[in-house]
Amino acid sequence: MKAATIRTFQTVHTWTGLLAGFALFVAFYAGALTVFHDDIAAWQNPPWRVATDSGVSMDALIERLLARHPGARDDFGVVLPRDSSHAAYAYWQDKDGARFATASQMEAPRTDASENELADFIYALHDSLGLPVIGLYLMGIVSVLYGLALVSGILIHLPQLAKDFFAMRVGRNLKRLWQDAHNAIGVISLPFHVIFAVTGALFCLFTITLAALNTVAFDGKLFEAFARATETTPAITLSGTPATMLTTDALMELARAEALKNGVRTFEPDYMHFVHYGDRNAVAEVRGLSQHTLGSYGTVAMSAHDGTVLATYVGDRYSLNGISYASLFGLHFGSFGGRTVQWLYFMLGLAGAFLFYSGNLLWIESRRKRRHVDQPRKTRIMARATIGVCIGTCLAITGAFVATWIAVRMDVDAGLPQRVACYGLFLGACAYACLRPVAKATIELLGITAVATVAMALIDLATNMGAMASSWSPLAWRVIGVDLTGIALGIVFALFARAAARRARDGDANSVWSSRAPTPSAP
Amino acid sequence: MIARCLAGTVLGFPLAALLLALLLHVLPRHGDAFLIPGLILFFPLWTAFMAGAYLFRSGARAWLVMGGANIVVFSTLWLLRLPA
Repeated sequence: MKAATIRTFQTVHTWTGLLAGFALFVAFYAGALTVFHDDIAAWQNPPWRVATDSGVSMDALIERLLARHPGARDDFGVVLPRDSSHAAYAYWQDKDGARFATASQMEAPRTDASENELADFIYALHDSLGLPVIGLYLMGIVSVLYGLALVSGILIHLPQLAKDFFAMRVGRNLKRLWQDAHNAIGVISLPFHVIFAVTGALFCLFTITLAALNTVAFDGKLFEAFARATETTPAITLSGTPATMLTTDALMELARAEALKNGVRTFEPDYMHFVHYGDRNAVAEVRGLSQHTLGSYGTVAMSAHDGTVLATYVGDRYSLNGISYASLFGLHFGSFGGRTVQWLYFMLGLAGAFLFYSGNLLWIESRRKRRHVDQPRKTRIMARATIGVCIGTCLAITGAFVATWIAVRMDVDAGLPQRVACYGLFLGACAYACLRPVAKATIELLGITAVATVAMALIDLATNMGAMASSWSPLAWRVIGVDLTGIALGIVFALFARAAARRARDGDANSVWSSRAPTPSAP
Repeated sequence: MIARCLAGTVLGFPLAALLLALLLHVLPRHGDAFLIPGLILFFPLWTAFMAGAYLFRSGARAWLVMGGANIVVFSTLWLLRLPA
């Protein structure tokens, strides 16, 4: 490649990185935590704090739903509780939109699947920065820029890649060290980043892209073709004859047996979908999670009256369309390989967040004026923004954990406190990074985040000790896991704070990161 | 730089879409069995065009070639769709 072309791609890489880097940092940090979605849910609501309705059976839930909302019988779903301390809830379409309710919420169903769940709030931060509608499109555009940054990043480093790949030049040249770390992480986790750039763009921009492709290139026939390719519920006609329905337990058992016959080793039902419930032709569809397969979410559709299997989309029975569609979710969420893959995704997610952080630092470092005390204005602004947004995000998410913890123990809804703490701390951190000298703000924000994260985990462990001892449940491991991970993350923040303090004290005085009295420049 | 960036973004989008539609159209049963893998390819393809547009010597050339490619693929698709 010509030198001029490489310089062009260098510019593309810098600009896409600048435009998308901040949002990607949030997406990757929150995304790494989202890998442990169910563990965070157990942390918020541990097995010894039983939620309302967690004892209600699914059959009782359906009975209650149909008694109060008979119109839902044509099409409704039931989301199974993720563990024994959560409640199952029903999902259906009202004339005003989607409705969700556990057994005792039937009189006043929710319009939001789980507004008080910390795990779901962190997921919302991950996929849309927690902003309604616009956030999802914004993150879709960010995903496209991210794809372009990946391609251009690889192209510019391709010439020296083979030579420098294993080089880690630790020494006085800090720019080179950051460059080596940035490149090594970028290249090692490249397949993982390709997955996210592609699936992220698809998930966020799916509906508008489908609509655009439909008009531009598919002659208006794409929606129909897409529905055909991803459909799992067999089309049926209402018979009009009422019939008895099998119990949910019986249906799940039949679905599991059918799934295991088709080449998967596990099938954990997590969602059921019913069409024309109570009719002789009613269909029950069971969705389940299988491990060690890319089609991690499979479905079995049966007659809800007699259990005859009508359609199977599991393991060997997937079509090419079905397995491609299912694998998008498995690959994005890392749900296909048990705990090992979850930890891998968690580590790679944090490494990804570090990639965007180090990219910004690199940008600042390569514009540093080595012989001048006064650094360029744009690098000072960039340093403040990087500190405010990146460390602010970590602090804000820890704040959401703290707010949730307090709200749950005061028996108030956690949804609002979570959001206030999270956005409040984020804006606070950004303002702090703008006003305080950069070097001090970095050390202090990292320090606060470290202390808050470790303190939250230790307090949670200490207060749960008694309950764990008296009523042990295997679910307690999840709570302990979240707390230990919190302590580990806190230690990492503390190490970063120490490194920042060292650089402020002993590093080159001609730098935005220094708090030393500047040395007079050479004449 | 900006002209090539816009060429890749604005013209790369329909070009990627039309190429996929063309590919699916010539497959048996109009590619029904390959629809999802085809759609997954859309974003990588668009990104490739966005990155590829910088290889053109000038912005005008990028618009000319990519615009021409759009017209060619669109016409081919249109001709193939005509009832025989």
